[in-house]
Amino acid sequence: MDIDLDLAEFVIDYAKKIGASYADARLESTAANGFVLKNGIPQISGFDRAKGIGVRVVIKGTLGFASTNDLSKESVKRVVEKAAKLTGYASKIGEKVKFSDVEAHVANYKVKQKIKLADLEPKDKLKVLFDAEKAMKSTKAKVPGRFFSLGDFYTEKYFVNSEGSKILSSIPRTDFWYFITIEHGARTAQRYWQYGDSGGFETIYKHNFPKLLKEEVLGTKKNLEKGVKPPKENVDVVIGPQITGIMVHESVGHPYEADRVLGREAAQAGESFLTLNMLGTRIGSGAVNIVDDPTLPGSFGYYLYDDEGVKAKERWLIKKGVIGDLLHNRETAAIVGHKSNAAARATGYDREPIVRMANTVFKPGSYKEEELIEGVTNGVFIKNFMEWNIDDKRLNAKYTGAEAYMIRNGRLAEPVLKPTIEISTPKLWDSVDAAGKNIEYHSGTCGKAEPMQAIPVWFGGPSLRIKNIKLK
Amino acid sequence: MTKARTKRRSTSPARKSETREEAPFIAEYLIRKLKRGGADDVIVNATTEEATQLKFSNNVINTTKTWHNDKIDVFVSIEKKLVATSIKELTGKAADDVVNKMFKFVKAALPTKEYKGVAEGPYKYKNIPDTYDKAIENLDGTNVDILNACINAAKKNKAKRLAGVLETSVTNSYLLTSNNVEVEEKGTKAYFSIRAFVDKYASGHQVCNSRVLKKFKPETSAEKAAIIAKQAVNPKHGEPGNYDVIFSPLPFSNFLASFGEATSIFNVESKLSCLANKIGKRVASSKVNLVDDGSLPNGFGTSLSDDEGVPTQRNILVDKGVLKTYLHNTSTAKKHKTTTTANAGLVSPSPFNLVLEKGNFNKEEMIKQVKRGLIVTNVWYTRFQNYESGDFSTIPRDGMFLIENGKVKGAVKELRISDNLLRIMQNVAAVGKDQEATFGWEVEIPTVTPPVLVKDVRVTKSSN
Repeated sequence: MDIDLDLAEFVIDYAKKIGASYADARLESTAANGFVLKNGIPQISGFDRAKGIGVRVVIKGTLGFASTNDLSKESVKRVVEKAAKLTGYASKIGEKVKFSDVEAHVANYKVKQKIKLADLEPKDKLKVLFDAEKAMKSTKAKVPGRFFSLGDFYTEKYFVNSEGSKILSSIPRTDFWYFITIEHGARTAQRYWQYGDSGGFETIYKHNFPKLLKEEVLGTKKNLEKGVKPPKENVDVVIGPQITGIMVHESVGHPYEADRVLGREAAQAGESFLTLNMLGTRIGSGAVNIVDDPTLPGSFGYYLYDDEGVKAKERWLIKKGVIGDLLHNRETAAIVGHKSNAAARATGYDREPIVRMANTVFKPGSYKEEELIEGVTNGVFIKNFMEWNIDDKRLNAKYTGAEAYMIRNGRLAEPVLKPTIEISTPKLWDSVDAAGKNIEYHSGTCGKAEPMQAIPVWFGGPSLRIKNIKLK
Repeated sequence: MTKARTKRRSTSPARKSETREEAPFIAEYLIRKLKRGGADDVIVNATTEEATQLKFSNNVINTTKTWHNDKIDVFVSIEKKLVATSIKELTGKAADDVVNKMFKFVKAALPTKEYKGVAEGPYKYKNIPDTYDKAIENLDGTNVDILNACINAAKKNKAKRLAGVLETSVTNSYLLTSNNVEVEEKGTKAYFSIRAFVDKYASGHQVCNSRVLKKFKPETSAEKAAIIAKQAVNPKHGEPGNYDVIFSPLPFSNFLASFGEATSIFNVESKLSCLANKIGKRVASSKVNLVDDGSLPNGFGTSLSDDEGVPTQRNILVDKGVLKTYLHNTSTAKKHKTTTTANAGLVSPSPFNLVLEKGNFNKEEMIKQVKRGLIVTNVWYTRFQNYESGDFSTIPRDGMFLIENGKVKGAVKELRISDNLLRIMQNVAAVGKDQEATFGWEVEIPTVTPPVLVKDVRVTKSSN
């Protein structure tokens, strides 16, 4: 790390000297590269080096956050003094914060890279985008809008707090994103998706984007060409892992964030339909098992210690249909009398750590995807989706399918055009009767907080069968 | 406070001081080094920002936040190979590192054949009133008192729980290009967002912003949010169907921001716009007159110049429902044989402040026109199914009220608007006369709009 690590310890000592009862500091350095190809033409390439420090202090019982990217001691002192003064003044109408007790850790971990991000030339990275472009052309389909981007990020972070934790981490990440417009006659469809991982550039090569994009274009084209309206009667629906992924993220991960449940994010990100007295009660069928696990190797949301220095572990959110743990940082855990389960994350040194998901996953069941489909007499298989949204309590969601097919007597039949599921969260999880074993992990950049913190996450799971629901 | 710098500096950044005072020296140093190395165009934009935020929920301040950020954005073109970077240290060493890496990057990059260059100065910049206020820069803790007054104002109006943010910032920026452009700017901003709750299912949300303290009215926003929350108690489940909807400024600015983004030529070319091939054609009701004004006094997005240094201007986007222009930078304008609208974005031209011209109606007059309708005071999670067609859905949140035969009949909940952006704009039936400035999570472009009545809006709900 090209920052003097002693600065973090210096800040902690200085914060205590000017009256902080608790202090922590995150020194961070991120080197990033980015490339964009629009309709076959490279756009501006970019690189970025961000480094700075974020400091939290508790002054007169209230929490203050300060950050600067001027890493001279004078600047850091000035910003921390300013924050301490403001926080002291704010404490007259400030929350009296308490942190749940945690063990102090001293650790150093890094994610290995088989192909180092720094070893590749920009043209090697641009080639990934040109290969995607070639794949589009090889389909002979009409794809008038082709937008591809590729990014890589290498973040080194040093966390120190006044309770003795000192944690150094190095995490490389890669991120490929596409947005394509497919035309057939008067019909058009647009699809975008993201592939994000932690690791070196080998994570980009493993996906085989040309093959994925070719399948995507041909599947969507067929849908536009031959798609029929979805059935009006209630039917059984089998969804693919991409839809399972977005559903567990939106309908489980978010409402399980304890800061939402406690009203701390009420202004923008919203609250939750969940209340503390619903813990331990049933929300879905026995087939529903959902976890959030920051420690999944290679994951986009990977970390071993969160941004409060708490050791990460798998968190059970729903077990056999019953509500398990919420996602907690030290502050929300203390409020409800629990221990933090290491969900505090910040997107960078200049943001406050808040409760976030990492990798939210529906645990695999025992069926092959074909077996799930074989069990349906009259229904629809929805492989992936275009539009989605959910209200800010996470109670009513909408998912509009992109590639979808009728299921007749256990077999896939003609394509279905834009089948839409508009469903409440309890009804959704109650209607899942079987889970496949074909688990896939997908990635996203999850938004929360003000100013916005767009953070890397995985969401995933297997194909699911949902019984007797209405499509639009 | 804005001024054009008249005298060039010629010293190297090796001067010892590494404060923001050094930004002009570093900018000039970068341009000189990059030009010597063969660059055709260079743009350097150095900014220093000091900002604070008070984040509150459950009627108390949860966290104070204090930021200091230095940044230098650098753009270079060499034989149509384009590279951009952003460095966060205003030091000579960082400048040298950037120069070396940019040349390395350019060597390996491929040309952007459609690139046609950046703006050629020099330009004169007019002073824009109400963009800087010393009172905001020197608040020094009195923002806590302002917030306390807001919380109390909302409580007086029966709100039980309040959450939001109060932010202030001061930004110094210095833009220098290889093409005779030099502009220095200092600006302040104040922003307030408050959501008031009477209970879990009865809430109201308001935002306000200003560049100067005397026009910043957060207490009024707090009172309004509380009044909406109070009216929203005991909501009934709404029914799906088609409704005439009165959108308050906050939700309608969400639609206008999407529409404004769709006027960017970059989005038109990328199939991210429903306005392709529509110049000179009707894209909205004749009651819609929309401008983008980067020079708007007290505009939250106002700036002396765009990212190339072209002085900002007022562009008519929609005149009586007819689309008049796309937004361009110099390069895209040359490609499309037109002139820049001063909306660079070096990659994607973008609006500064969208302003919907006010109409003649007050809210009561609009309500009287509606037989079966809704009042929507906020929307959330707008997602497009197809940007090219304009199909989207969004979810009303906070107070939503049913109108029957010209009268408000109480609050409703759990509905979704599933419609089309062009259809919404074409179905505008009445425009209110009271404009509000909005900006925030769901409105990423500063927008000024009155409430708007839209006929025949498609409304759905969970059928499972």
